[in-house]
Amino acid sequence: MTKVLAYCAFLHREGLKLTPCGVNNATMRVLSHGNLRLLWSYVEWPFRDSAIQRNAVEFHGAVSHMFAQGAVLPFRLLSVFDDEQAIIEFVEARKADFVADLERLRNLVQMECVIYFAPQAATGLSGKDYLERKAEVLRGAEGYAERIRNVLSGISRAVRTRESKNGLRIFVLVERGQEHSFRSKVRDLPLPERLARRISGPWPPSEFLSDALKMPQMTGKT
Amino acid sequence: MAPGRRTPLSLMQNDFESVTLASASDEDVSLLDILDHVLNAGVVIHGSLVLSIAGVDLVYLGLNVVLTSVETALRNLRAEETRR
Repeated sequence: MTKVLAYCAFLHREGLKLTPCGVNNATMRVLSHGNLRLLWSYVEWPFRDSAIQRNAVEFHGAVSHMFAQGAVLPFRLLSVFDDEQAIIEFVEARKADFVADLERLRNLVQMECVIYFAPQAATGLSGKDYLERKAEVLRGAEGYAERIRNVLSGISRAVRTRESKNGLRIFVLVERGQEHSFRSKVRDLPLPERLARRISGPWPPSEFLSDALKMPQMTGKT
Repeated sequence: MAPGRRTPLSLMQNDFESVTLASASDEDVSLLDILDHVLNAGVVIHGSLVLSIAGVDLVYLGLNVVLTSVETALRNLRAEETRR
């Protein structure tokens, strides 16, 4: 069955180059509403099990193409509309939210630092000792996250921290162009023993969307 | 290839955490990072739109599909390596 897949929203600007193709090589289409634009394509739905990893990468590529040129608000990959009319109605109803977030997040990108219990720190431990050491190390991760927040205070516009199964995820909003500074400041911070760290970004600032756009809606089922 | 750089993208490597992509900034991005971001973050559709098939949430269905896909990919790769 054919559905409408939404990729991202952005504000119109002269000279923007549109993503050439989307998921499964689909032709990209743009919905216009005032100066708001929404990138979408038709897709065969649901995605084939064997192709979903590739589809995720294609989706990411399409969004990244636009994100490289300016602020975007990405949709979740599995957000599909029944038809073109549904996406039109959705955008009409939420235009103010989209524009407000795009204005607020203009020139900002999201960087991410994940701190986690280093697997090699558990070598040779019994199951109980492993869990105890992991808990101890993760308690220490809070302090390290605080040091990261402090060291980034000069460049961060907002910081959010989220616990994950093996550690902490720190999302930092920085001005576009400050990505290198983010990386070097975080890398220069000595890593405590038994903790590992992974830095990624820039990403579209999806952790910093307003609640109106990112609150999960699990009750709108058919 | 410079030390520490990972190999270019191949979606079906057996260590999928090391699968890398060139992002806009030419930094390494893992497939897991991409899956996490495209599935777990972003604008969520509200209203009376279809979010489920046959009573199963598409979000959960999708995540199951991804996990199944990765598991299947790894199993197939291991089988291939064994055959070589």
